[in-house]
Amino acid sequence: MGEERIDLPQGTLDLLILRTLALEPQHGWAISERIQQVSRDALQVPQGSLYPALHRLERRGWVKAEWGISDYNRRAKYYALTRKGRAQLATSADSWRKLMTAVGLVMDMK
Amino acid sequence: MLSDAWYRLRAILRRQSVERELDDELRFHVERQTQKHLRAGRSAAEAARLARLEFGGIDQTKEQCRDARGLSVWEAAGRNLRLACRTLGKRPGFAVVVVLTLALGIGANSAVFTAIRTILLQSLAFPDAQDLMRLEQYEPRTANPPSFVAPTRLEDWQRLSQSFQAITGYYPGDISETSADVPERLASAWVAPRFLQVWGVVPALGRGFAPEEERFGGPRVVIVSDRLWKRRFGSDATLAGQRLRVGQQSLPIVGVMPESFRFPLRDVDVWAPSPVDAPFAQSRQSTWFTVIGRVRHGGTAAEAQADLDRVQAQLARAFPATDAAIAVRVQPLKDVIVGDVGRSLWLLFAAVSVLLLIACTNIAALLLARTADRQQEIAVRYSLGASRGSIVAQLLTESLVLAVAGSVAGLFVAIGALRAFDMLGQGLPRVAELRLDWTLVAYSLCCAAGATLLFGLLPALRTAKRPTSDPLAARSRSVAPATQRLQWLLVGLQVALAVPLLFGAGLLLRSFDALGRVAPGFESARVLTFRISADWGETTDIKALQRRMYATLASLRALPGVDATATSLAAPGVPFEYQTQVRIVEGEAVANQRSMASLRAVSAEYFSTMRIPVLAGTSCPTESPTPTAVVNRRFAALYAAGAAPIGRHIEQVPANPFLAAARIVGVVGDAREDGLHRDPQAVVYWCHAAPVPAPLFLVRTRTEPMAMAATIRRKLGQLEPRRSVYEMMPLEERLHDTFAENRLRTVLLSFFAITAVSLAALGLYGTLSYFVHMRRREIGVRMALGARQRDVASSFVRQGLRVSIAGCIAGLSLAALLGRAIAGMLCGVSPLDFVTFSGVLLLVLVAAVLSSAWPALRASRIDPMHVLRVE
Repeated sequence: MGEERIDLPQGTLDLLILRTLALEPQHGWAISERIQQVSRDALQVPQGSLYPALHRLERRGWVKAEWGISDYNRRAKYYALTRKGRAQLATSADSWRKLMTAVGLVMDMK
Repeated sequence: MLSDAWYRLRAILRRQSVERELDDELRFHVERQTQKHLRAGRSAAEAARLARLEFGGIDQTKEQCRDARGLSVWEAAGRNLRLACRTLGKRPGFAVVVVLTLALGIGANSAVFTAIRTILLQSLAFPDAQDLMRLEQYEPRTANPPSFVAPTRLEDWQRLSQSFQAITGYYPGDISETSADVPERLASAWVAPRFLQVWGVVPALGRGFAPEEERFGGPRVVIVSDRLWKRRFGSDATLAGQRLRVGQQSLPIVGVMPESFRFPLRDVDVWAPSPVDAPFAQSRQSTWFTVIGRVRHGGTAAEAQADLDRVQAQLARAFPATDAAIAVRVQPLKDVIVGDVGRSLWLLFAAVSVLLLIACTNIAALLLARTADRQQEIAVRYSLGASRGSIVAQLLTESLVLAVAGSVAGLFVAIGALRAFDMLGQGLPRVAELRLDWTLVAYSLCCAAGATLLFGLLPALRTAKRPTSDPLAARSRSVAPATQRLQWLLVGLQVALAVPLLFGAGLLLRSFDALGRVAPGFESARVLTFRISADWGETTDIKALQRRMYATLASLRALPGVDATATSLAAPGVPFEYQTQVRIVEGEAVANQRSMASLRAVSAEYFSTMRIPVLAGTSCPTESPTPTAVVNRRFAALYAAGAAPIGRHIEQVPANPFLAAARIVGVVGDAREDGLHRDPQAVVYWCHAAPVPAPLFLVRTRTEPMAMAATIRRKLGQLEPRRSVYEMMPLEERLHDTFAENRLRTVLLSFFAITAVSLAALGLYGTLSYFVHMRRREIGVRMALGARQRDVASSFVRQGLRVSIAGCIAGLSLAALLGRAIAGMLCGVSPLDFVTFSGVLLLVLVAAVLSSAWPALRASRIDPMHVLRVE
């Protein structure tokens, strides 16, 4: 944790969740752990927003939820990307990259 | 309270599993997080505490999840409903105005709808009523109206026809019931065999007539109405031994009809058989039955018509003298009963529908005016992620709340209106059948739903426009030009719709006024009218009957306060369809000329009683060895080349045994005998005091006629204690009643028209006020730059006038169409009456100026300094 933590810009949480689920279906806790690990603890998913985000994505039809058995032999709700979600991920990732490049160009100007 | 009720409803409707799953999901997360901390070496308690701390407020998260999942349709509707109530509650004035407007629109509409449904659409209140037909006999080669039917002919039709289950007939009569101190007149019906069979009704108590009771010389019995049974016999459950005292006789009661059965008249109390095999009923020319037939189930009037045409052709061969000239007409009974009241009802329905449309337009304009006010709120909702659909749904819910409240209030209006209808419309057919039922409720809710879409959809779509700029930053003070145009369009539309209503009401009012101002040719004031009960049997001795009439008339005449007395077949000025063909016996009658005349039969003093001047010859003589008659001036002009045809003889075609050829003794002035709304017709007055056993008595009094009622009753009681006096009322009241339908539609249409104009004026006022409010900054600037108050005010009035004039022009073309549609209801006024046109135009323009004046005045009073400082 510590000073390295970055606040998530608005709208990026959805993108991160979709990207994480692109690898394999996961339950909520694992999604937040994965994001934290991959970002080397720089990104901490605010847990109060994770679940509302998941439910919102489910409503939009980008992910679908299913109950399964977790590694600890407990019932857990697993989220998986749908076809619609995959398409959404592609668009969002694309515009995210464009934004990053553009912001980078501006920041690097002499 | 509403929110509490909703909470419970939601608890039932909510899928509980969704809640439980959410619970499980979040608990799983916290458990995993705890395990993570445990593995990192924390104590159990510490790990759990940390995990909970990191998660934050569980309930808050749950609530956010629920929001994220979206709401079920029910929940969304519930939330919208609460929101709508809260929003409307903030502006109660607005809500009240809208609800009242709708209540009026929907209530009036529902009431007229109920009347149409009951009177025009529902079948009559008899089993398989669509099978009931009215049969008439008429003479196609003369222009005489259909006459009643001879008993023998009725029996022939019954015997020879194949398309009928049964045919019966009746004629109304009076019975003087003498068991109480004062004889009471009971309306009765004399019925042919098969009467109950044709109606498909059985007595609620007792039995119908037995075959021997319907034969001449058989036992005389009666069936009584439920009303009479309750009133006179205290609804004794047992019929045994109950008798009705009629005149000198006492007749056993064999049955009591169900309460709903009131035929042929609303007030009929006694039914008794009229034997068709009686010797006096054997002439094929003595016609007295009104005939009703029940066709075989599902049969049509056309089939029945063809069948009876065949039967009558057969009779014409068998009885060429009496039946050759006769044809039969078959009409569904409902059409006969309803008559042409349908015209008035559809006119009213059109009027109330236009009124509702105006109300909706008005409310749409009011809602549009709030668009700008709500832009900020809508923008906030958009930025919180609401979809356009959900915002439209929320706005429509507000409209729906208003509409439902309006239709509930409208139900009370409808109930009141139906009561009023019952009072005002006594003369209308089937008014007694008007009932409040669930259809009314369903209909007004349908109205509410329709109205919601009509007035709510457009403003909702417009209000829910996604804001283009960021309205949170700067509150917009201008109205989009498109919305402005739309609002003016709505105002113009209201005017355009109100104009035809006004015009129609104006025409009816002028026509009604014209009726009141016609010179009827007789004096209706201070004349008391009544009838004295009598039996048709008395007509066997016409001379005695006449003597009785003149004796009664003479003793009434002797009363102080009485100027003149007379009898007549019908009340003057009350429509009485008795047009017949007549012929002047001697002289140069033009061949093939059909001389149609209205036929009256009056006693000697009729003309002096009614103040109809005798122009030539004399009035009717009291006694004359041979029949005499008097004709009016129009008759002389039409059929005797203007010369007074005194001394010549007149007879009906074909000859009428009751009113034989008569010598013309005088010519009198023209009077509107057949209704004040008709120009005087040619009239032949047969001098006959008693063509029917109970003619109408006319007594000219010196003072207010009803003041003499008691005196006259007392006198008649002394003269003939066994007879009852009924239908006692001033002649003016009879004339008044004649126009019940006319008056009803005039009153209602005027009321609707006034309401429509008020709504349109209110719409103009509201819209203009709103624009003044929205543009006050601009006005302030203009005035700061030197615009004069007068110019500012007149610019607004001009704007209001422009829209109203445009609306008027559109409305007047609709009005012209309406005028043509109601031409048949008018009297003494053209359907394109110029005065009415100008009057409507003037009224609308005055209303437009008045309703623009106040907002315009306010605009001119704007203080530029104040506005500019505030903004």
